[in-house]
Amino acid sequence: MRPFSYIRPTTAEEAVNAFADAEAGARFIAGGTTLYDLMKLNIERPTHLIDVTAIGGLATIDTSGDRLRFGALAPMSAVAADPVVAGDYPVLAEALWKAASQQLRNMATVGGNLLQRTRCMYFRNGVDGVYPCNKREPGSGCAAIGGLDRGQAVLGASGSCNAVSPGDWPVALTAMDASVEIVGPAGQRRVPIAELYRLPGDTPHIEFSLAPGELITVIEVPRETLEAGTARGSTYHKIRDRESYAFALASAAVVLEIEDDQVIRARIALGGVATRPWRATEAEAVLAGQRLTPERAIEAGRAAFRTAQPGRHNRFKLELGARTVADALLIAAERSRS
Amino acid sequence: MNTASFPDRARVDARDKVLGATVYPGDVPVARILHAMTVPSRIAKGTLTALDTSAAMRVPGVVRVLTPDDFPSPAPVSEDGPPPPPPTLEWRIAYRGQPIALVVAETLEAAIEGAEAVRPSYAPEPFAALIDSEDSERDPGEDVVFGNAEVALSSAATTVEATYVSPTQHHNPIELLVTTAVWEDGRLTIYECTQSSAGTRGATARALRLDPAIVDVKSAYIGGGFGQKGGIGQRQTALVAQAAMLLGRPVKIVMPRGQIFHLATYRPHSRHHVRLGADANGKMTAAVYDAEQEQSRHGFFPCAEYHESTCRLYGIENYRGTAADIRIDRQPPGWMRAPHPQAACFAFESAVDELAHKLGRDPVTLRLANDSRIDHRTGNPYSSRFVNECLEEGARRFGWSRRTPEPGSMTASDGTQIGWGVACGAYPSMMVPAIATLRIGADGSTRYAVSGHEMGQGIRTAIAAVLLEGLEIDPDRLEIVIGDTTAAPQHITAGSWGTAGAIPATAKAVARMREAMRELLAGREIAGNLHRQLSTVRRPFLQIEVSEVGPGQGPEALQALRRGAYAVAGPEYPNFTTMSYIAHFVEVHIEPRTRRVRVPRVVSIADCGRVISPRTAASQVRGGVVWALSAALREATEIDPRYGGYLNNDLADYVVAVNADIREIDVGFIDRPDPLANSTGLKGLGEVAMVGASPAIANAIFHATGKRLRELPIRIEHLL
Ligand SMILES: Cc1cc2nc3c(=O)[nH]c(=O)nc-3n(C[C@H](O)[C@H](O)[C@H](O)COP(=O)(O)OP(=O)(O)OC[C@H]3O[C@@H](n4cnc5c(N)ncnc54)[C@H](O)[C@@H]3O)c2cc1C
Repeated sequence: MRPFSYIRPTTAEEAVNAFADAEAGARFIAGGTTLYDLMKLNIERPTHLIDVTAIGGLATIDTSGDRLRFGALAPMSAVAADPVVAGDYPVLAEALWKAASQQLRNMATVGGNLLQRTRCMYFRNGVDGVYPCNKREPGSGCAAIGGLDRGQAVLGASGSCNAVSPGDWPVALTAMDASVEIVGPAGQRRVPIAELYRLPGDTPHIEFSLAPGELITVIEVPRETLEAGTARGSTYHKIRDRESYAFALASAAVVLEIEDDQVIRARIALGGVATRPWRATEAEAVLAGQRLTPERAIEAGRAAFRTAQPGRHNRFKLELGARTVADALLIAAERSRS
Repeated sequence: MNTASFPDRARVDARDKVLGATVYPGDVPVARILHAMTVPSRIAKGTLTALDTSAAMRVPGVVRVLTPDDFPSPAPVSEDGPPPPPPTLEWRIAYRGQPIALVVAETLEAAIEGAEAVRPSYAPEPFAALIDSEDSERDPGEDVVFGNAEVALSSAATTVEATYVSPTQHHNPIELLVTTAVWEDGRLTIYECTQSSAGTRGATARALRLDPAIVDVKSAYIGGGFGQKGGIGQRQTALVAQAAMLLGRPVKIVMPRGQIFHLATYRPHSRHHVRLGADANGKMTAAVYDAEQEQSRHGFFPCAEYHESTCRLYGIENYRGTAADIRIDRQPPGWMRAPHPQAACFAFESAVDELAHKLGRDPVTLRLANDSRIDHRTGNPYSSRFVNECLEEGARRFGWSRRTPEPGSMTASDGTQIGWGVACGAYPSMMVPAIATLRIGADGSTRYAVSGHEMGQGIRTAIAAVLLEGLEIDPDRLEIVIGDTTAAPQHITAGSWGTAGAIPATAKAVARMREAMRELLAGREIAGNLHRQLSTVRRPFLQIEVSEVGPGQGPEALQALRRGAYAVAGPEYPNFTTMSYIAHFVEVHIEPRTRRVRVPRVVSIADCGRVISPRTAASQVRGGVVWALSAALREATEIDPRYGGYLNNDLADYVVAVNADIREIDVGFIDRPDPLANSTGLKGLGEVAMVGASPAIANAIFHATGKRLRELPIRIEHLL
């Protein structure tokens, strides 16, 4: 428990200015389901909270144009239940409703979701210096490498961090080539989702390519790049340690475009296995122009993990991940036929 | 004995619970309350060399920081006396997470902030966090031996041998550990979620060197007990009690879940080496079973009890059981639902399945052929034993006859592997003494006080069932006072003896009350219920007191009860042995590619003697099956031996089964009274409900896949 100040501006501009005015230690807060949790764990120690939930116009869901536009403050549950999203973009809806619990999804925003932090147990524990963590205390070391790493990443890890990027929604957005609109001290800009997330490298504590005080306002998902304008042949397939209320051991977002049984284009992104939402271009390449058979599906899955580097207890993620991709492809193919 | 079945009856407290009106110990309103927070040790072993509390004291709202210097030295331990109470605050550190200071403040927030501001200095020492760690110490327990197992094994026609492993698992009831201590007029009143209000009184009095007569403990409702809230007392109790006495104000603590992982009891990691032998007819002739478990340096969760159920599951005449503690630097393990049999029967019932497979026998038929009327450990008969009836009824309901024996033979067309598995469980049926007071008022009220604790298992409902069956009283004004040392002498409620403790006494109270009414009315016929009758004869109330003891117990058991001591009878009674039994039938589905295991249906048939409260009894069995599924497929506590402590110490990362994991669970009872165990013919149920369901799942997985998995939990990676 540490004292902090709290304000609730009503415009994005005010919020950005307030952030700039505050000394280091300012944080935006939306649903609070990540931030309060990490504050209670003493990992986040903000001194100023800028509650963005009263900013007008940022909770809108607009599916009428060429691009689906989701205001950053829209609750996960509202986006998941939107009839257009649920009907035409199962990959998006599933990524949302298979995450967390209904209570959390009612509170959590689709913008805040993009910036949730890893569930690595070593990161979440031992603020008092029991477990070293380069994310939590830069330069202190990584207890997960060579430790209990069943849940850790097999793709994108570095010598200083192998923590998994936990979110489901960012994986689906990665498959859908989404981008985010940002306002900040230096004005407005748009960042492709693929560029929002950084590999850990030597600086695992820097997870996002956002400058201090930059506020995500809108998430945009293009539909014009999809032949049919929809993604009915898509799925977010999530394998976890229980049937609900758990983060992914391995997940796959798949968006398939199939014509006459031939894959025109497959977009595949992986969750639960990598240090950032992971676009599996190698797997996509295996499928392009091919007929989708169960054998080819698993071949594509394996291709996605060709460069994977397992640790002590997470080798199974290579096989599980490959099979998850395969199942996701078959589910998406089934849907694109119906 | 009246052997009639009891009718189905709703839980007496269901409505209040749904409305949130039930007052749990943490909800009891207390004026002028202070809030406390413990400071956990960061090192796993060593000495606390200094505690700088100055920064903590500067946090606005903090009123005091208690350190080891604020507590009396540990109570002396006598060999034959009760186990020592949990330590208070000490300079020696025995495990990571051990409380080293208690911060007391005007608000919870200040207490937390203060706790974070305490600056300890340590002299750390090397420690052993796991049983394979270098400094672990092997400490053998007592053997359980009858017949000559080695000889019988060497002449057996068929043998199986394997090692089975169960992980460290932690209790996670939704209710946290909560204690409020009030010091007023020379009396200490403790409101705590405890399964042993008298035990809490005794432990607190001994830890703080108080006269137990000035301590009252009230635990009216518990939000999940399962053994975590029983045992030898909770570590935070004496801390807040001392704070309340030093400060002269009530003090409350709600332990955070992460800290509970580190200081409350848990199911220890255990390894089980089992050898079974059978003759040419499939009669099991020998069992040699070596168990070992992780144990704290001074803990006493008894390792020999792994044999308590396994040596009585079948009529095996030659049994040799050994057990050992492997002592390491963690907090003591303890009783967690189906304490020993959960792991022991996972091992044993997996081995029996392996034996059936090796013999080419159906696993149900093999079990049926190994029943016994005699407890070979004592040579005495079982008072009742309907395990074969459980197997037969379960097999019938499940449709077992349609099972094809070959592993993998029931694979569905989409590649889903289907497996059917069976396993049995047994658990000692014990009994404790009780003293009860029943008072019926002319004003319509009834008050009944007895020993017992309500942790959701439904003891109040069972008590109400007996009172309402036998007495014409107003059910809406029936008050059942339990878990309260001021109302009746309290025994710890655990080990499935709660019903056997409270119900025979209640039946006796009913009979005594009827007699007293008869005497009072002296032959007059008066209309209306008992309240009306009393009012008609102008008696404001009628009160009776009864006591009951277990078979073989005498007045000394009642004295022990009055002292708050442990006074359990059974399962070995003077001339017989009493066990409860269950048979679980499980269907598993395993996905063709990603290998998730689903359990679409379970049939569980229990022999718990006479069923007193059908609804809560069935609920007990379902809960036991749910936890067994969770234990078999989900739960394991993560310990990194380099650091000690527990990594996945919250509900998000310690993965317990959720609703979406649970499908159909069909529960049935044999419902035949035990003629000897007690006057009402009941046997224990809560523990046995869980026993055997985990191995039934593992056996079903073997049947589905041909893969024998001998270590829990079974997860996706083991089936890829
Ligand atoms: C028990 C539990 C289980 C969970 N399970 C899952 C799961 O299975 N899958 C999954 O994907 N997620 C899961 N989550 C995570 C959950 O989805 C996120 O916590 C949630 O989406 C975050 O949204 P929020 O609005 O609450 O964010 P907040 O907590 O308010 O903010 C999160 C972060 O984003 C920043 N932020 C918020 N909004 C903006 C904005 N508009 N612009 C810039 N920065 C912003 C904040 O400063 C903060 O750093 C789980 C969470 C919990 C607690």
